[in-house]
Amino acid sequence: MPREHLLKIGVSGIRGVVGEFLTPALACAFGHAFGTYVGRGTVMVGRDTRATGPMLQHAVQCGLLAAGCEVIDLGVLPTPSIQMYVSASKARGGIALTASHNPAEYNALKLFNGRGLFFNNYERDELIDLYHQSEFYQAGNEEIRNVRTDHESAQKLHIARVLKHVDVDVVRARKFRVALDAVNGAGSVMSPSFLKDSLGCDLVAINTDPTQPFPREAEPKPESLGDIAALMRDKNCQIGFAQDPDGDRLAVIDENGRVLDNDDVLALAVEAGLERLPGDVVVNLTTSSVIDDIAARFGRRVYRTPVGEANVVEMIQAVNAAIGGEGSSGGIIFPAVHLCRDSYSGMALFLHRMASTGLTISQLTDRLPRYFRKIGKVGYEHGRLGTLMLQLEDSFPEARLDRTDGLKLIWPEHWIHVRASNTEPILRFSAEAKSETEMNDLYDRVESLLK
Amino acid sequence: MRARKALRISQVGLRGVVGSGLTAAHVIDFASAFGTFVEPGKPVLIGRDPRASGSMIREGVVAGLLACGHEVVDLGVVSSPVIQHAIRRQDAAGGISISASHNTAEWNALKFFGAKGTYLSTAEANELLDIYHLRKFRLVDWTGVGSLRVDHGAIDPYLDELAAVFDFEQLKRPKVVVDCCNGTSSLILKRLNERFGFHFILINEKPNGRQFAHDPVISADTISMQLAPLMKPLGADVGFQFDVDSDRVGVATEDGVAVSEEMILPLIADYMLPRAHGKLVITNLSSTALLEDIVALRGGKVLRVPVGRQATIDALAAYRSDQIALAGEGTGAVMMSQFEFVYDGIASMLTILSLMVERQLPLGEILAAYPRYVMRKAEEPLTSTRIPELLARLQQQYSSGKINVQDGVRVDWPGEWFHVRVSQTEPILRVICEKKGEAPTALFESLIEQVRESV
Repeated sequence: MPREHLLKIGVSGIRGVVGEFLTPALACAFGHAFGTYVGRGTVMVGRDTRATGPMLQHAVQCGLLAAGCEVIDLGVLPTPSIQMYVSASKARGGIALTASHNPAEYNALKLFNGRGLFFNNYERDELIDLYHQSEFYQAGNEEIRNVRTDHESAQKLHIARVLKHVDVDVVRARKFRVALDAVNGAGSVMSPSFLKDSLGCDLVAINTDPTQPFPREAEPKPESLGDIAALMRDKNCQIGFAQDPDGDRLAVIDENGRVLDNDDVLALAVEAGLERLPGDVVVNLTTSSVIDDIAARFGRRVYRTPVGEANVVEMIQAVNAAIGGEGSSGGIIFPAVHLCRDSYSGMALFLHRMASTGLTISQLTDRLPRYFRKIGKVGYEHGRLGTLMLQLEDSFPEARLDRTDGLKLIWPEHWIHVRASNTEPILRFSAEAKSETEMNDLYDRVESLLK
Repeated sequence: MRARKALRISQVGLRGVVGSGLTAAHVIDFASAFGTFVEPGKPVLIGRDPRASGSMIREGVVAGLLACGHEVVDLGVVSSPVIQHAIRRQDAAGGISISASHNTAEWNALKFFGAKGTYLSTAEANELLDIYHLRKFRLVDWTGVGSLRVDHGAIDPYLDELAAVFDFEQLKRPKVVVDCCNGTSSLILKRLNERFGFHFILINEKPNGRQFAHDPVISADTISMQLAPLMKPLGADVGFQFDVDSDRVGVATEDGVAVSEEMILPLIADYMLPRAHGKLVITNLSSTALLEDIVALRGGKVLRVPVGRQATIDALAAYRSDQIALAGEGTGAVMMSQFEFVYDGIASMLTILSLMVERQLPLGEILAAYPRYVMRKAEEPLTSTRIPELLARLQQQYSSGKINVQDGVRVDWPGEWFHVRVSQTEPILRVICEKKGEAPTALFESLIEQVRESV
């Protein structure tokens, strides 16, 4: 029987339902382990707007101070802003208290190294070993430092960096009418100021009160974005942006109120990025082939990695790519700004693209090569995974195999990708094809095999 | 085997050397235990002394309390009495003072207060310890996690309460020097100067979290270090010295004499007893017998209880509050009925100033007029297993006197007494002797000999 885990300490740090499961003692111990790991330097701490954030932040700061770190409290801030500020300020590391797109009852610690990047697998393993060994550095009164508060600098730095990579005047001249849904999250204050003050948009914003709970599902998906879509039609907006609670993911809505497919969002961002900068593209295995078509137009190469932001980021670094991301999760990574998923880079690239082409967002989308995609998930029992994967292989003997992350079966015109989730006991699978019938046929065959 | 001294978890709370004894994990668990213990739905007040480790402990205390669903009000760097009075005024569920009080800088501690701002009774303290040891905390779900509010305005309402009892105009007359020992008293005294026009001359007035100018314990030795030698050169009428969280006070006379911490309670009794509704003065078995003389003169009665804060707190609870005038120890820590039985060094200082103003005498002369008692104290390391035998032998040996065995052995004769007891905080035996008029040399030497034979 698949079980749901209300607490998970593992590859993605520590994540759980706050209360009985994710406790202040755990958060403090993790903070203490983190402080011990990065050494007695400065550590930045910020959070999204979850009501459990302050409690966890104080617990994490307690552990960091006990390890002899100086703590800079960045307050409520998008995750990418925290990452950038860590890297720019020569801090030893950073921690964001956010469960990102997970529901409000969850919270989590996202861990960054001194370069403002997610801990890689080796760093994570070392930290988790240290956490389990519980032999933390215990600073005495002579060494214990303070919490300093800085709620301004990170936001300023982030906006300045993004603006360096768009033609601000061209965008401002268009005075785009833009709708925003910040899910009452970490972008509630920064996003309106970014769109209105920095990019000169005529803004219609909803869900920008950081003191209120999430008014919709935290993950910006077509089903949960009815409000902004309606608002856009009502107010005749040219484009709509919806963020997740920590401002790393971005959903885009066209002028007709239609929520763009996440892979198309990434494709348009890649198009905008490649137009501006030399370099290749890095996406995960489960991202649409539309990226390959776009890259081919610019004569660039596409590298594919296992699913997970850290994997994409590592490859972007390795090949010095121009842009990358993960299609299915709405994550655009524009390394010129920072090596992280960043909804602000995404918003800027979109507005810039509209301004420079003079096209509407639906026209831009329509020009993308058309693919049909469907994603699904099924629970699985431990011990059955290998058998399931073998059955898949046997059923499609003519396909090319990629086993980098689960199993990807590739044909010239379509593909199937099946992988076990890192965070839940489920198998995720996706199918993509040039025609809808073909895609449905593939999807149904895989689904019936897995069930 | 002796326990490591760097951490002590007891009815008095959590205390230890930060890092080597007291860790972040202890703080989180103890704060969660207290959050579970106190009444839900009401705020919990916290404050801290300037120790550097207070920043770490504050974070843990806030996290533990928020996780139990409490609204937390952080009063910042303030004295323990300021926190205690604020708890009562704001009808809070309770509070925590992050302070190791009179210990040196590397120590820190959590002091827990109940709904009225007073220390927990033994029964309550035991319940808190049980919750801590069980680690079954009432952590609320994600919808109920509390929020933090910062309130740095708690000193003024505290001063208003003092102003309602003392005649501030009169108390401005003596020239007063105060050694703040880099603690929280300076914040209160500066405010008294600023707001009410006092002229306190402050030394070691800068709160310092790393190192204190001297050992913050209140004793004639520490008062002699900086405060007493300044008295004559500055032409001061009196000098006061506070511990780091300002719940204790010590004095130096106009002649630069460092007064024993034993004298604080008798001085306060002398002034306050005629003004208090109750006539009972609670103190422990080890403090000076001068108290009985003064209290008798002022129409009161002394109740002696075992040494330690907990025994005093429990004795307070055993009487109606209108029966009690004062409670205190020979350490310079005194609580008064007028101030809701909160150990308060500032209120104690104002009482001693009031006594001087009323008598129109310098402190040295007031003290000189009291009957003279001479106290001798010693500490001997102990072997725990031999203690019962020693105490039994002392009772036999000194059966001519009145024997009290509430806490070790105390024997009283007219004009002379001794008390032999085991320390609650260190593995030592304490021997105290006092005689009216002269030093209790013979008794003291014979006691020390017997104790050494046995340990």
